Amino acid sequence: MAEVVLENICKTYGNNFRAIDQLNLSVEDGEFLILVGPSGCGKSTALRMIAGLEDITSGSLRIGGTDVVDMPPKDRDIAMVFQSYALYPHMTVFENIAFSMRLAGKPKAERKKRVDEIAKTLQLTSLLDSKPANLSGGQRQRVAMGRAMVREPAAFLMDEPLSNLDAKLRVQMRAEITRLQKQLGVTTIYVTHDQTEAMTMGDRVAVLKGGVLQQVDTPKRLYESPVNAFVAGFIGSPSMNLFEATLTGGELMPGAFAIRLQDAAFVRRPGLKSYAGRKVVFGIRPEDLYDSSLESGRKYQTIPARVTSIEELGSEHIVHLNIDAVRVDSGDPDAVQDFGLTSNAVARFEPDSTVRSGSEIRLALDDTKLHFFDPETHLAI
Amino acid sequence: MTRQKRSHHKLKRAVAPYLYLSPSLLIIGLLMLLPMATVIAYSFQNSAVLRRDPTFAGLKHYQAIFDDPVFWASLWHTLYFTCMSVIFHMTIGMVFALMLNSDRINPTLRNILRVLYILPWLFTAVIIAVIWRLLLEPNGVVNSILMQIGIIGSKIEWFSSPETALHAVTFANIWAGYPLFMVSLLAGLQGIPKDFYEAADIDGAKAYQKLIFITIPQLMPIIISISLLDFIWTMQVFPLIWITTGGGPIYSTEVLSTYTYKLAFSSYNLSQASASAVVILLISLGLTLFYIRYQKAR
Repeated sequence: MAEVVLENICKTYGNNFRAIDQLNLSVEDGEFLILVGPSGCGKSTALRMIAGLEDITSGSLRIGGTDVVDMPPKDRDIAMVFQSYALYPHMTVFENIAFSMRLAGKPKAERKKRVDEIAKTLQLTSLLDSKPANLSGGQRQRVAMGRAMVREPAAFLMDEPLSNLDAKLRVQMRAEITRLQKQLGVTTIYVTHDQTEAMTMGDRVAVLKGGVLQQVDTPKRLYESPVNAFVAGFIGSPSMNLFEATLTGGELMPGAFAIRLQDAAFVRRPGLKSYAGRKVVFGIRPEDLYDSSLESGRKYQTIPARVTSIEELGSEHIVHLNIDAVRVDSGDPDAVQDFGLTSNAVARFEPDSTVRSGSEIRLALDDTKLHFFDPETHLAI
Repeated sequence: MTRQKRSHHKLKRAVAPYLYLSPSLLIIGLLMLLPMATVIAYSFQNSAVLRRDPTFAGLKHYQAIFDDPVFWASLWHTLYFTCMSVIFHMTIGMVFALMLNSDRINPTLRNILRVLYILPWLFTAVIIAVIWRLLLEPNGVVNSILMQIGIIGSKIEWFSSPETALHAVTFANIWAGYPLFMVSLLAGLQGIPKDFYEAADIDGAKAYQKLIFITIPQLMPIIISISLLDFIWTMQVFPLIWITTGGGPIYSTEVLSTYTYKLAFSSYNLSQASASAVVILLISLGLTLFYIRYQKAR
């Protein structure tokens, strides 16, 4: 087990494309850190640099206190789980798991003992003689985990290991990997583009965009206090609604309607006062918007909105809305899918909401949950 | 639908596939099965083709070729020629395919090598035979180079000496045939996921271990298929040997194909030639059945 420290890590490709820019990250011993971001943000590149599969252009990388920048992958004391699992199809489950021990010239008896132990932990004992082609997706995933565990590495590196599984199995394996990581206590760096995985699995989450680290924090703090509009939009599903507004006399004026701000909003964010009379970006999460006809008890402010479409999920309704305000792009490519073409806001209503597509409604909002960002830099205020 | 109509419909459905197949079956029957059956029939007749009313000879012609030491020499030469060709086709094809698939070689050089390595495949057997006859002449380029660098002391008559002729034709055939392996194995190498090698790098595999544990097992289906096909094709090679040595000197490069040809068109002993052809057919058939069984097992 070991601490993994990245200092000013840069990766530049031959065509001068900078995939990673000044990445500083410290993963503590036994910690489960998630690297998350949209496609092309450099998260897999960062992981592959830690593994030694990609050269580091500049910067320093230490695993367990040793500088490993110039070390080949095998000497870095890491194990990696690949997105494709990289299981050898011509080898049995036993041979796949024992492969690194075989290369290291470990005696047969020792190999068998260790593989049997791991197979027991991963419930693979009955499958040891099977070939990967005869296993289900979840079983293959467990074999890939077994192959990483057999090395007893200082750190596990996982590159989107659940992305090939169906939705139900993914939920199950999420819990399984988290349990295993806690049980083994091995430092783990886990790459994913799925922010649900990021929020549910990691001790801390590092959000990357365009090769630049945006924020590293606990899932709860990322959700509650995003440092910029990108993190605000990326973390949470559906994405946070972000709009432009003018701050006038303690009120937000996004369009033809106003949102009154409580004094507490200015007390919590002293910088917000300096935006008086200027443009500001405000954000509200879909779960902080309510169907006003169901929320009369809580006396939330309401704003006018038109329902464009509804997704009835049983436990909740995802309601796509159009409000009189200019939506701000957070820079998260997936956010566009959340909003669609005809709507500019999305809300999460309780299942007993009776709003219908095409109807004009009053949308209640919890103004204590508003987030504010600078319109130019998109940094949190 | 009445019962009669239903049975008519059933019959039509049963016959339709055979109707679709019939044109190709007819062509195969006329061009392959009929000549094959005729040759088998000739092998059991006295004075086949030469006489209008040949008599039944039983196994006499088979007995005659099995008693002929030249037949056994031809069989041995065929096996040597075929086995060495297949082994070296595979080895050279594999080495070149690994080179062309390597990231360590400059891409431009790789493209040039790709063209150069595939060149032998572009030549017909006749051209290959002529090229190697010229190169391996006593006063040819090969002798001249080998003498200059001191490997040989005097000129060697590669195709005319009984000691070297079989090796020389085998060498020419190896040169002509490796590109098939190279191209097939290169396609196979390009299909092996990169993740396999990366996972092996992390596990500490050395280059030779990656070759043994990943590359060769992954290429095994291609290696077996192409080797079997090459074995079948090489066993039947005729023009290259006929043009370079004609089976000589003193039968030293006689293979089953040249032996059969000579029986038929030099001695005009068509019955014995047919018996020899049937022996070649049986060996090829055995290998083909093995190949088909292997393909089915996959």
